[in-house]
Amino acid sequence: MTVRDDRHLHTVVLTRRRRLAPGTLELYFDRPVGFTFKPGQKITLVDKDLRRDYSLVNSPRESHLSICVRIVPGGRLTPILDRAECGENFLISPPFGFFIFQSAHRRAVFVATGTGVAPFAAYVRSGVRGFHLLHGVSSERDLYYADELRKSADAYTPCISGMRSASPSADGAHAGRVTDYLQNRLPPGAYDFYLCGRGDMVRDATRIIDRKFSDSRVFTEVFY
Amino acid sequence: MKVYTGTGDEGKTSLFSGERIAKNDARIESYGCVDELNAVVGALAAALPEVAAADAVRTQLGRIQSDLFQVGAWLATIPGSPAADHLVPFTIAYPQWVEEQIDLLDAGLEPLNAFILPGGHPSAAWAHLARTVCRRAERQTLRLNDQDALAFHGARELLVYLNRLSDYFFVLARHCNRLAGEEDVPWHG
Repeated sequence: MTVRDDRHLHTVVLTRRRRLAPGTLELYFDRPVGFTFKPGQKITLVDKDLRRDYSLVNSPRESHLSICVRIVPGGRLTPILDRAECGENFLISPPFGFFIFQSAHRRAVFVATGTGVAPFAAYVRSGVRGFHLLHGVSSERDLYYADELRKSADAYTPCISGMRSASPSADGAHAGRVTDYLQNRLPPGAYDFYLCGRGDMVRDATRIIDRKFSDSRVFTEVFY
Repeated sequence: MKVYTGTGDEGKTSLFSGERIAKNDARIESYGCVDELNAVVGALAAALPEVAAADAVRTQLGRIQSDLFQVGAWLATIPGSPAADHLVPFTIAYPQWVEEQIDLLDAGLEPLNAFILPGGHPSAAWAHLARTVCRRAERQTLRLNDQDALAFHGARELLVYLNRLSDYFFVLARHCNRLAGEEDVPWHG
């Protein structure tokens, strides 16, 4: 848990909005001079008394910064972001966090729910390859960055909780939650798990890993 | 943001390097002691006398609290793991800085010719407690070292740091009593 010092905030300009799915945006900002970060790190976006943490989606090699935002109807900050126009200023913190890919001999399994896929998109854009990604969503339309991720993964498994098992769509998809897949489909072994998403998914996945994949390593990033 | 995750409800926790290990493992005990020490240092800082001369001590303690995070991070990392690349190298500069602070504080103290009882001003009492928790952290870390579980570049410097830091808290306890205008309590065994 960190307490950030507002004296170190950067002012950034919104330069581009890209709709990833209904209710989800990728927002692009200009990158402040000297702003360095590692793929998987996050920033805090500040608007008056509101602040939310977002993983950076872009590669450190790129000249911009971008974040993936799910608009929460009735929320306080995300509707402001939804209405924001290019040219508007925002405040962001310096990058922080340790959800950073660590190459190892063990197979990496990335597990995301919803916009928790953002740091994995940053990994891929920074050259990480050869992993198994489980992306848990309620609907196929929320499989953000699917093309990019599929190209770089050894295995890409959408886990669609709202899909009927007989659904012919979403090639290679699993009808059910990511935790169902870990429990019932992923072969036993020692992996490097990277979990990013809601707290209940991270908790349940960690319990399954402790029991079924006990020699594995686990790195987590929880959002609420 | 919620503080609880529930991922440790069944007795395991994650190291910085990702391994899931039992919460009563020697490694957890080791950095748990360092965490406890950091909390005691916080209490000590909060108990310092309200005099201008305490500001320098407050600054020292702030740095020590920050450095203890580095100590904890190294202890929470399996040596040789890729996670170690993300840590700040633990060099001889850490214990050297502590030695310099000891010398600064010691220069203003009367020579000691008897054992003293832990206590006096509340800040001095906290400093004595910090000294003892620091010694326990050192003992636990030595146990890890005996198990060859501390084989990273900088491990020796880390052990020296903990050893030196408890000496610092002893001298600081006396300094705090001096700042507060209180006498050390000699032992009349």
